Amino acid sequence: MPWTAAAVIVAVTIVMCLPGIGVGLDIAAIARNWQQGAVRIVELLAPDWSFFPRTVGPLLETLQMAVIGTAVGAAISLPLSFWAARPTNPVGWTRAVLRGILNIVRAVPELVYAAVLVAMVGVGALPGIIALVLFNVGIVVKLVSETIDASDAGPLEAGRAAGGTQTRINRAIALPDTWPAFISQTLYVFELNVRASTVLGLVGAGGIGLLIDAVRTFYRYDQLSLIIVEILVIVVLIDTASDAIRRRLV
Amino acid sequence: MTVLAPARPAALVVPARRRNPLRTTAAVVVSVIVVAAFWSADIGWSRLGDLPAEIVRYLGLMFAAPNWSKLPEALWQTWRSVEMAWIGTVLGILIATPLSLVAARGFGPAPVRVVLRFVFSLVRAVPELVFAIIILSVTGLTPLTGALALAVGGVGTLGKWGYEAVENVSPGPIEAARAAGGSTAQVLRWGVWPQTAPTFLSFWLYRFEINVRASAVLGLIGVGGIGDMLTSYTQYREWSTVGMLLIVVVVITVAIDAVSGRIRRRIMEGPRVR
Repeated sequence: MPWTAAAVIVAVTIVMCLPGIGVGLDIAAIARNWQQGAVRIVELLAPDWSFFPRTVGPLLETLQMAVIGTAVGAAISLPLSFWAARPTNPVGWTRAVLRGILNIVRAVPELVYAAVLVAMVGVGALPGIIALVLFNVGIVVKLVSETIDASDAGPLEAGRAAGGTQTRINRAIALPDTWPAFISQTLYVFELNVRASTVLGLVGAGGIGLLIDAVRTFYRYDQLSLIIVEILVIVVLIDTASDAIRRRLV
Repeated sequence: MTVLAPARPAALVVPARRRNPLRTTAAVVVSVIVVAAFWSADIGWSRLGDLPAEIVRYLGLMFAAPNWSKLPEALWQTWRSVEMAWIGTVLGILIATPLSLVAARGFGPAPVRVVLRFVFSLVRAVPELVFAIIILSVTGLTPLTGALALAVGGVGTLGKWGYEAVENVSPGPIEAARAAGGSTAQVLRWGVWPQTAPTFLSFWLYRFEINVRASAVLGLIGVGGIGDMLTSYTQYREWSTVGMLLIVVVVITVAIDAVSGRIRRRIMEGPRVR
């Protein structure tokens, strides 16, 4: 059985490397171009530091998009998480409707949302933020509602036995228990948002991605290299900070 | 006869909420950052007002009558996206698995381990699109570029998951293999692999799912696949075709996730006992 699986995987891989229907594996072309690639790599190793002042504004815009996207997404996600979890919303079909919609929302990558939204509302940070919000709601509601589903049913039953309505039970009993999971997942999507917002500009949705698109059109790989370094620093800093906070919380 | 005064309920003493200065500070800092972001961002909020109506209008344009005549081309481009994801996953596995073994505590020398872990985290911090932009200077605008970018990105995640999995194995079988005189390769094969195989397989499948999503996005820079087609038709503002393409993306992603998720559960939990 493992060998059959391995054979199938190898066969599929070989088919996908064939010319015509494959990924276009053209070793001759790579051999021809690889020197060009080497030149690019050398350029990448020498970032153009003088480009730094021009990157500050777009970088700030990227962070703004990530912060706003996370904040709005979190505000929408909290009530929806209660809607999507069984202990806090006993009406089965409404849960199923919301979960179905969210499954579809999650299946579309955020850059695709951004590309379509740019055409709808125009170039700028706004389509990027809306794309991030959609992406966040999809993830946070799934993760938080799963935590609520898995939580201890005892306190909720106690609330029901004491005669509380569903709303009161959710407010007084489920909500305090959900905070740590909610905050932890929100920080997690904030990390994802920072990463995602750096490339949203490639489709015109604002932030440093606009600059990535510009320097790549002019083949300025030394400037691209500076942008990559900046993204690395920001992502690593934010991940470290967010990790530290999450460890304290959970 | 004494009138029984209704017993007053014992005064409800609500204990004062314990103050947590750290939490208060965190809340204040976060609020300041969020307010500052809203306040400083240069966003045409005015456009937000008619957005709901606009979205409804565009949803109508996209999904009222999706343009199914372009479906064959869409399926062909989807195939190319899936190819990118598959080749990217296979290459990622081939590169990441040995590296993750070297990066695991107890198998690689400490300096190599530190360097490798650092490389994994750097790779994870860079979006795949950026790798694709670098790689396309060698391989051009072909799906191969996308596959290679996904492979590089995969090394970051698969490498990290891999060494974590190897470090979490129970030491018994490893010690047994060592005590029986096994070389490092034999210890890996008989002490580590039997314990970690299900975890590794499920990581690989999970990475494939991630790559399927990512490959749709890589098309945006022109390396082909469904994303490429989607951006083109968005730029032409041919909304009925865009709607059809979105349906294809959703159906394919959901289907692949469902199949792969089922296989993963089967691997991790074993066959269902009847």
